[in-house]
This record gives sequence, C-alpha cells and structure tokens, in this order.
Amino acid sequence: MNKGQKLSVAARREENWGWFMIAPTIIGLIILNLWPFVQTLYASFCEHLGFGHYKFIGLQNYIDMFSNVEFWKATWNTVFFCILTVPVGIALALFVAILLNAKVKFKGGFRTIFFLPLVCAPAAVAMVWRWLFNGEYGILNQMLGVKIQWITDPKTAIIAIAIVSIWSSIGYDAVLLLAGLQNISKSYYEAADIDGASKVTQFFHITIPMISPTLFSVLIMRLMASMKVYDLIYMMADETNPALVDMQSLMYLFYRSSFVSGERGYGSAIVIWTVFLIGAVTIIQFIGQKKWVNYDV
Amino acid sequence: MMKRVPRAAAAVLALTLLLALCGCGASDGKTHLTFQTWDVAQRDGMQAMCDAYTATVNPDVVIDVQVTSWSEYWTKLEAAAESNTMPDIFWMHTDQILYYADFGILADVTDLYDSEDPNYYANHYSDISIGNASGTDGRMYGVPKDRDNVVLVYNKEMFDAAGVSYPDETWTWDNLTDASQKIYDATGKYGYMAYNDEQLGYWNFVYQNGGYILDPETNIHAGYTQPATVEAIKFYVNLQKNDWCPDQNYFAETSPGTAFFSEVGSMFLEGSWNLLSELKNYPEMVGKWDIAPLPAAPNPASGDGKATISNGLCYSTAARGKNLELVKDVLRFFGSEEGQRIQGESGAAIPAYLGLEDSWTTEFQKFDYVLDVQVCYDQFETCVQYINNATRRKWKPGVADEMVKVYNGADIDAQLAVMQAIADRYVETD
Repeated sequence: MNKGQKLSVAARREENWGWFMIAPTIIGLIILNLWPFVQTLYASFCEHLGFGHYKFIGLQNYIDMFSNVEFWKATWNTVFFCILTVPVGIALALFVAILLNAKVKFKGGFRTIFFLPLVCAPAAVAMVWRWLFNGEYGILNQMLGVKIQWITDPKTAIIAIAIVSIWSSIGYDAVLLLAGLQNISKSYYEAADIDGASKVTQFFHITIPMISPTLFSVLIMRLMASMKVYDLIYMMADETNPALVDMQSLMYLFYRSSFVSGERGYGSAIVIWTVFLIGAVTIIQFIGQKKWVNYDV
Repeated sequence: MMKRVPRAAAAVLALTLLLALCGCGASDGKTHLTFQTWDVAQRDGMQAMCDAYTATVNPDVVIDVQVTSWSEYWTKLEAAAESNTMPDIFWMHTDQILYYADFGILADVTDLYDSEDPNYYANHYSDISIGNASGTDGRMYGVPKDRDNVVLVYNKEMFDAAGVSYPDETWTWDNLTDASQKIYDATGKYGYMAYNDEQLGYWNFVYQNGGYILDPETNIHAGYTQPATVEAIKFYVNLQKNDWCPDQNYFAETSPGTAFFSEVGSMFLEGSWNLLSELKNYPEMVGKWDIAPLPAAPNPASGDGKATISNGLCYSTAARGKNLELVKDVLRFFGSEEGQRIQGESGAAIPAYLGLEDSWTTEFQKFDYVLDVQVCYDQFETCVQYINNATRRKWKPGVADEMVKVYNGADIDAQLAVMQAIADRYVETD
C-alpha cells in the first residue's frame, strides 16, 4: 500500500486485525527462533564462564575453531554424510514413489509400510539398528556371513549411520514425490506412447521435468536435515566409541562442546559455521535450480 | 454487538487459564517441595525417606520425588540454575559440585547442625564423604547422601569349570590375569573384561600401583606421566591385547555388565551402587555370581597395593531458593541417623552416615543367594576419594578423547604426555 495514503477507519481496523491475526506466529518466531539466533551469534564471540555468564573475547572462538583438526574432520564428516545420504536417499525415494504410483495390489499397505519409519521415534529406530549392526550378535553380520564392526570401525561407522538415515527418511520423501507424480496428467504419457517413446525416455523427459519442483523441495529439505544430523549419532555411538572422531558431525561436535565440556561460546561458533554452510549450499541450489527445475506445467 | 462476543469469550478464556495456573498451587494448605534425582532404582527409597520426614518431623510439608535420566539431568539443572527455578532439593554429583558450588549456586550447609553438634559432620561422616560434598573453599555445599566403592564381580560357575579358586583379598593383578587365561582356556569365555573407563577402570589400578591422577598433596597437578601411573595405565590398557579380553570395539557396543550377565565373560569391575539392580534385573543369574575385593598391585611404588575409588552423592539446595529455611530443615533430617537408615534399608545406597553401613544389607538378604556385601564395607578401609578438582570439568573431555586414541593403537607414552599437557593447561591459566 502507498505511504501517505489515508486509510478509511474500516480499512485501518482491518489492517489492525491483520496484525493481530499473525501476531501469535510472528511473536513465536521472534521469541523462539530469531532471538535465540541473535544470542547464539553473540555467544560465539564470548567465553562461557558458567550459568549463563559470558565474557566477550572477540574472534578467539573462531580462531580456535579454524585451527582445530577435530573441527575440520567434523566438517568433512558432515559433507561426506550429505554426499552419502542425499543422492542415494532421493534416488531411492523416487524409485519407491514410482513403484507406489504403479498399479499394484495392496498399494495402500505398501504405502503404509514405507511411511512407517517416520512414525517411529528416532531414538527407538537408532536402538534397533544398533542391535542389527552389532559386530558380535548383529543379525546383519549373521545374514551376510561377515564380521564387520559396523559402528565401531572408523571406515564403516559413518556409512552405517547413513544407511539408517536413508532408511528413516525414504518414506517421507516418497510420499511427497508420490503427490508430485499423481499431479502429472496421464495425457502426456498417452501422447508419448503414441509417438513410440520408451518407458525410460518417458521417465527422463516427462516424469523428471514434471516433478522437478517437488524434487527440488525434497532436495533442499533432505540436504538441510543431513547437514544437521545429530540424534542418530548421539544414539548410536557412545563416548568411548573408537570411531567417534570419524563419524561425529558438526552438530554432534557442537553438542559435546556446549553441553559436555560446557564451552558454549565455542559451541555457538560451530553453530554459526553450520548455519553459514547450510546458507551457502541453499543459495547455490536456488541459483542452480533455474537450470533444471521446470515451473511451467 | 457481534464484536463483543469474541472479546467476552477471550476474556473468559484468559480468566480460566489464569485460574488454572493458580490451581497448580497447593490447595491442601501444605507446602509442596520438589526433590530431583536421576536414578529410578532409588526412587522408592528416596520417597520413603521423604514420607518419614512428613510423618515424624513436619506434617505440613510434602516432598515429591522426581526422576530424570542422568544425561538430561545436568542440562536441565544448569538451565534451572540460570533462571533461578531449581528444584527445592536435588542430588549433587562429585563431577559437578565444584562447578555449582564455586559459582555460588548452592546453599552453604556447613552450619546446618551447629545447634546440635558443631562437629556433626566430622563425627558422623568420613573425610571422603565430607570432601565429596565440599566446594573448593572447603565449605559444605551438600549433606552427604551415600558412599560407594568399586568391587570385582565374578562368575562362580566359570571359576568352577576352570578349576580356579574364587578371588579373595589375597589376589593381585597376577592372579587376575592367570585366572582369566585359565578360564578362557577351559571354557572359551572371556576373563576379566577391562574396558575404557575411569572410575570403573584404570583409576583403581593407578592408585593401587602407588600412582595418582591428581597429586594428593595439592589436588592441582595431574600425574599422567608419573612412573607408577604410567605403569598402571599400560598394564590396564594392554589387558585388551590378551585373547581372554575383548577389545574396545567390542565394548563400544556391549558393556562389560551386559557381557557378564549374558554369561560370555567371567569378571568385571562394578560399582556397589549397581549391585542391587543387577540382582533384580537378572533373576536367573542370582546365585551364579558374587563379589570380591579388587586385586592388589603386585609391586606398588608405595603403599600396600590396595585401592578402590570411592565416590558419594550429596543432597543440595539452591542458595537463592524460595523455601531455603524449610529445605534446610528437610536436609537436616536427610543427614540424620534416621534419614540415612531409611535410605540404607531401602537398598538405595550405602548410607554415608558412619556405622549404618549394615542397614544396606537388609535388601540383599531378600534374595535366595546373598552377595558378600561385607566386601564393600571392608573396602572403605582402602578407598581413595573420587578424582576431582575445580578444573577437571574442563580437562576431562580432552583427556577422555586422548584415552580413546590409546585404545585405537596410539603410542601410550606419547598420549599420556598429551593428557598431562591438557590437564596442565588449565592449572597455569587459573
């Protein structure tokens, strides 16, 4: 609305009501999201003396952080975890979505099964997988006839976490993609059939472009979730796990710094770095999407 | 008129919510106090003690025991301390007490019994109990609750099968390794399961060998490079190189306790505070296992080779608490002979109050096989106070990380030097 333009009493009242209606959400966001972010940013320039008392120390936390080997290892672990989970996870979710969209019996049953992991508490999921992965008694090793220390071997630990992560997120992503698939008009495929296009060609030239907006949303969300991975690692690895350094993510390192060692300033610096990373990746994606996401349906 | 209706409705709603808030306050005219703990196994014992306070001392006070898990407990308590909404009474652990006490969060309870007996604590509690409840300034910031120590748990059937006599007070580290080898050869079961732990692991061996983690004189300087300490830690870590001991990969997934009670291993170190719940949790194992004193170091640099780490909790309250005087009266009862006896008889833990140790036996006698709990009492003769100082909170995680590297195969001497440097770093800055 133009500045200076006089509003009628009714219009002003309506505007006030507008503010009033969004107030709960906005106030909630400011108190619960924005203000803590400002506090975290401030804390990252401070040393935590204890019980909420901070001393300003400038950039010292960042200097310590960037010169810490463990921090760079955690950054790499986080990136590697994304590389492991995002492409494979989304490809599998798309595959599942296409299967669920096909004409199969018990479609409802299958959809429920794939969606079930999401209904389970993450802690319970992690505990069950811990037993499946157990090097001595785990069913996975029994079935494969191997003796791999999945969770405690530095080489496999992060892969094990990635498998659980993919398993728990596949259902949710598949349901979103399924909704996208169902919006594609049958007439495109019929026309393609008449023109003699193979199923593979149809998939790459009709399905992918048509669900690219959904795919893009899923990609953004999955990448953010992967970069923030914490709960799975916390549940699956103990403090004395020999592979902990090789699997800990940035968020896990933050937890250990802030809540185990009590160095909340340093922990906050790690959080700010993670926010920066996620921001950078998301910006790149939004620029990149112009090349492949198709909005003219 | 239409406008008025929502407003009136909103007003009614707001009023209801407000009333509901007020409704949370006690309506029975009694003062309700909250008592926060982290151990479900001790809930009944704590509640029995609180009910006894209500019944015998002050009928106008009702105390509700609440339990949170250990991992959440400290996060919650610290947040509560910052916002001055701490529970009225809470357990305090040695790992944390200095952080809270030195920051002025905890109420000073040194003078709690002055009207009764100015030397009350010294007369009824051990120096270790008093030490575990004191701040760096030497004042008391909690009423001692219990005391514990570490014992050797062993599987009798496996010892019988291998023809090895049960561990006793004559045992040294050599007996420990010999028996482990014999049991492994005869039964294929693991011997002594030595895993990466401080209180239930290498600390005991260090002190048995005459070494130290913190210099006993000053309690400031770490001793990770002190010869007797180095020798003990090497001995302990290298136990995992034997066929009869699982490696740290194994222990990262399966705790020694789980392995022991699944009957795949024959010995491990356990804290006295866990014994009762293990009897309850593994009923089919009752009678198959017992406890013994920790084996002694064969050639200690000083002392007789015997040592066990002893810790104890205490009851604390906030310095800025709203019901401070009332709570102090409750704490006075918790630290009295009566309060401590109720705790002991409930099986919760060995009372810190001297002379009441036997009350803890009561609960064990209810089982078909009675553990030799006298071992726990006797071991107080040789116990060493749980390792702690004002800066340990800062160096503990770093030292623990370096210890993990030792188990990953890094050179022990080099790692111990790093651990020493980490602990020393905080000495200089303070």
